[in-house]
This record gives sequence, structure tokens and C-alpha cells, in this order.
Amino acid sequence: MPAVFIPAAPIPAIMLLAATQLTHLAPIDVAILLLYFAMVLFIGFYVKSAANTSEQFFLAGREMTAWIAGLSFVSANLGSLELMGWAGAAYQYGILATHWYWIGAIPAMLFLGVVMMPFYYISKTHSVPGYLQLRFGEGARGLSGVCFAFMTILMSGVNMYAMAAVMQVVLGWNINFSMWVGAITVAIYVMLGGLRSAIINEVLQFVLIWAGAMLIPILGLIEAGGWHNLMAQITLRMGSEYTHLWSTTGSFAANPMGVHWTGIVFGLGWVISFGYWTTDFLVVQRVLSANSLRSARMAPIIGSAFKMFVPFFVILPGLLALVLLKDPSGHLIQLYPDGSDMVLHHGAYNYNQVLPLMMIRYLGPGLLGLGITALVAGFMSGMAGNVSAFSTVWTYDIYGAYINKKASDSHYVSMGRWSTIAGMAVSVGTAYLVRHAASIMDYVQALFSFFIAPLLGTVILGMLWKRATRAGGFWGLLSGTAASIAMFVWVKTDMHNLRFVAMSPNAQPMAENLYRALWSWVICVVVTVIVSYCTKATPEAQLNGLVYGCTVIPSDGATRLYQKPLFWAIVVATVLFILNLWLW
Amino acid sequence: MTSQPVAPHPHHVDPSTEQSLSIWFFVGVLMLSCGGIILTQGIYEFWHPGSTVLANLHPAFWWGLLMTAFGLFYTLRFRPGKG
Repeated sequence: MPAVFIPAAPIPAIMLLAATQLTHLAPIDVAILLLYFAMVLFIGFYVKSAANTSEQFFLAGREMTAWIAGLSFVSANLGSLELMGWAGAAYQYGILATHWYWIGAIPAMLFLGVVMMPFYYISKTHSVPGYLQLRFGEGARGLSGVCFAFMTILMSGVNMYAMAAVMQVVLGWNINFSMWVGAITVAIYVMLGGLRSAIINEVLQFVLIWAGAMLIPILGLIEAGGWHNLMAQITLRMGSEYTHLWSTTGSFAANPMGVHWTGIVFGLGWVISFGYWTTDFLVVQRVLSANSLRSARMAPIIGSAFKMFVPFFVILPGLLALVLLKDPSGHLIQLYPDGSDMVLHHGAYNYNQVLPLMMIRYLGPGLLGLGITALVAGFMSGMAGNVSAFSTVWTYDIYGAYINKKASDSHYVSMGRWSTIAGMAVSVGTAYLVRHAASIMDYVQALFSFFIAPLLGTVILGMLWKRATRAGGFWGLLSGTAASIAMFVWVKTDMHNLRFVAMSPNAQPMAENLYRALWSWVICVVVTVIVSYCTKATPEAQLNGLVYGCTVIPSDGATRLYQKPLFWAIVVATVLFILNLWLW
Repeated sequence: MTSQPVAPHPHHVDPSTEQSLSIWFFVGVLMLSCGGIILTQGIYEFWHPGSTVLANLHPAFWWGLLMTAFGLFYTLRFRPGKG
């Protein structure tokens, strides 16, 4: 799941402002980092000649294989904010954090591949707001396009600042230096090569992250004496609620996260997860670049198979740290919540520093450079993903839709390049804004989540219910978004109101996100249904290619069992089921 | 925007077919380069052991070897002009 959905575990202002440098890089670490930067820039210049038309620049020519689109799809979400945030969440909440990678991602990715992708793909849309325009008209497109473009560029700035701040804390680098080097590098390779360049770099980042992060859990498990010993030690120190996925979610008070299984299943597993993975254009754009309908359907399924094993190098390091992270005298290091007195006044580490601390524990020269490069690659990929998605939505759904409708294709490509530069400039501004008022980061992350849950209601009804009308889609989306903002403000002004949103006095802040998303989705759906029944139905002929039941879905060419997306979706779902049973 | 996308590419191709370098070639070169550097460090650490936990297992050597082998395979398999 993206960092935007972890307000309880973002990289906090406290960590970002900490002055203590955790480690330093050896010359060969720097060599690995420079090698990565050189390759990234080379790729940007190299693919420039293949980004001359709007189709090439914004959708990578729709030439990507299922594997490349799939790895890019999952990689666009695998940012460093997410890695560090969820490793910290695993330390704080135990194995429950795995839900955000399994039920909070896999079913939605499979649903996208099996059910939704045909509509996105055969409608020939360039973007999710573009699909809304085809299905619900200009109002829905305008609302979603403006919201998405605004939020995306702010998120890019948050990523930029987070990267610079983490590098300052871990390595003592100057924050301005890190921000500008990151921004200029990303701007160059996205401006030159568009989505193709971003996708190639995301695949590189994917491999780097696996190579850089996999060694920590391997060495950690060796040190702990194996999985069973690790679980036994965690149970002894923290209690069994840290080692079970589902058995403690029967009540809010029985688990460290303070959530109920209904929130996990319906709030996270349905609304938040499906909202992000099936309607956030940042990730959907990667799949739209696929070279055929079958590739487009297989890409999310391939991505889900890899996503299922991400907890191995994100969640497991957090769990290992609970019993293995020790100081030189052999005493366990205790990490504390962000902003706590121990962190503020006694120099203690906070939860989100667990991944860098584990890296430093196990990785010597060379390997540490690889790990740091993986983190930098994750940050830069996050920025590039946001900026390339912004550039597409701005050019197609705002500039091309409302400002200049009849320009040439080359003009739109130029606009895409310039909007990349402009978007990066706004991101830099946002990064400086966050630097001077770090609490803005939490709000930006929350702002993004306001829109995703209602958008899911609008897109799902649009694809699966032919009676949904244009007015219904627009007003449902608007009311769901407004309701989400209202609930956020209501709880923010008085935390006691959380008991009403989450329906329990024992609910913790993490539960708020799940239930706020659920309610805003319900409101969106209810308003859409009511308004649709009060307005004139859209003729079915106009819904061809857009709605289930009005569309003949073309064959994807799969003839053998192993070629069928549904078969692989069932395989992934079965493995997911077994993993959940194992850690029940 | 008025222009509509062209039809999906008619062939299931790797992007490398329209350029001379494949994405997987880039992956191979990066892994080979990083793996080579880490492997060299790992060999050096046989005589100058590191101070990290479990350094006695020589993780830099083994991980560097694995990355080098992975990178070499991808670099050769997807080298320009092959297939």
C-alpha cells in the first residue's frame, strides 16, 4: 500500500529533523550510487528518440510486455517512504502490518487484471480521468483530473523532501543538495523519455530494492536461529498478538493496532485497497502501457505475485528488530513513537528508523551502498511516477480538455515535457514548504486519501452498473470526497469523535483511515445510486466498451490454461489464502 | 485533447525490439557492475574482516557473487544484437 495510507506511520517530522548521523558511506558505496545515477541519466537520453508522439511519451507507445508493465506496476508503489514506514509499523504493531501488503493489495490487483482492465484497455483511454469523461462526462473528469494532478504533484514534493531528509539523517548529507540532485535527475529523465523512461527506471529500481533489501531478513533469520525461534522470542518479549494476523482482530482492544477485522476486510481490503490499486492513475498508467489486452490483464497479476513477497524484506526486518536490534553492549535498543519525549529529548531512535538501523547492523561497505542506492532509487522512482502521471493528466485531462483542445500531437508532447519541468518545480516548492512546516506532510498524505475511496465507488459503478448516469457519477464523487474531508476535520478537531467514525471507543488512529474510507465510499455509492435513479438513463449504445453488460469483451488470445490471466489469478489467490492461514 | 490513441501494438514485443538495448540488458549491466564491486569488497574482507554482525559469514562475497552471476546472465542473454 502506498505511503499515503499510513498516516500512523509516515516518516515523521521528528525523524526528518534529527541531527544525528547514523552512518557514513565508504568510497565503494559512493561508486555504486554514482553508477546508478549515471545509468538513470543514460536511459533518459537513450530513450528520448522513442518518445516523440503523445502515445509514446505518455503511454510508452503501449509496447510494454506483461512482465515489464507488471514489475513497473508494483514498483511504482514500492517507494522508500513505504518501505521505511511499514518496517517501522511492523516494529510497532507486529505482523498485523502484513495486512497492508496482502489483503490490502493482492485481491485488488487480481480484480484489476481479471475484471477491470478490459474496460480501461478497450476504451482506449489515456487515463483514469479520461475513462470518467467517457463514462460520466466532463464534470467527473474535471473533478478527478484537477484533484489528481494537484495531489500527485504535492506527493512528489513530499517524496523529494523525505529522500533529502532521510539522507541527512542516515548519511549527514546536506538537505538542499539531496533535494536538487534528486529533482534535476528525475526531471531530466522523465522530460526526455516520458513514461518509457520512468518505466525502465522503475524496473531497475525494483531489482535494486530486492537486491539491496533481501539480505537483511536472510541474515536476521540466521541470527535469530530461524523462523520458529524468531516467533518464540517475539511472543516472549511482546506477546502473541504480535505474531498473529487474524486471531486477535476479533476486538479493537485485543491487538496492538487497535483495529477490528471488519475494518481490515471492508475498509482496507475493499475500499482503500481497491481504490488505490484500481483507480489511482499513478499505478494504472503502468498497465495501460501494455502491448496487448492479455499483457494488460497479466501485468497486475504478475505484480501481485511479487507484491505478496514484499513483506519478507519490509515487515520481517521490523519484526527482527524487536528481538535482535542491540547496542554494542548487547542490550536491546528500544525504539519509540514519533514525537515522544524519548525521541525529542533523549536522542532515542523512532520506529521509522528501524530499516536503516537494520541495514547498518548487517551491511558493510559495498552492501550498504547497495542498500542506500535502493532507498534513493525508491525515492526517485516515487517522484518520477508522480511527475509522469501528473504530466499525463495535466496534458490530456486539463490542458487538452479545457485550455487548448485542437493543438497538434507534437504540441501536446512539448506540453508533456514542459509540464514535467513545471511539475518538478512545484514539487521542489512543496518540498521546501514541508521543510518549514513538516506537519504539512501528514496533511498532504491525508489529502490524497480523501479522493481515492469515493473514486472507487464512481469507477466501479461506472464499469459494472449501466444504470449509473452522468449526474449520478459526478455528484456521488463530489459528495464522497466532501464527506471524507468532513470526517477528517471532525476527528482532527476532537479525537473523541473517532469512536463514532470507527464505531468503537477502543479504536486507534489507524482504524480511522479504514472506516473513513469505508464511509466515504458508502456515501459516494448511495448518492450515485439515488441521483442516477432520479435522472435519465444513458442509452446503452453509448456505453459500449465502457460498461459490463453493454460490451463484448474481445478475446485476449489466450488458448492454453497457462496463458489465461484467470488461471494465474487463482494461483496467486490460493497462495495468499495459504499464507493467511499459516499466520492466522 | 482531440487525438485518440492508435491501436495497440500489433505484436507482443519487448521494447528492445524497437531500440537496440533491452530493459533487461540495463538490469543485467547494473547488477553485474554492482555485483562486481561488492564481490571485490567481499574478497578483500577475507583478509580484512568487517565489523558488522555476521560478517564472519562473508555476506559481501556471497551476495556479490550471486549478483554478478545474475547480472552476467542478463547482460549476455539480452546483449545488443542477440536474437
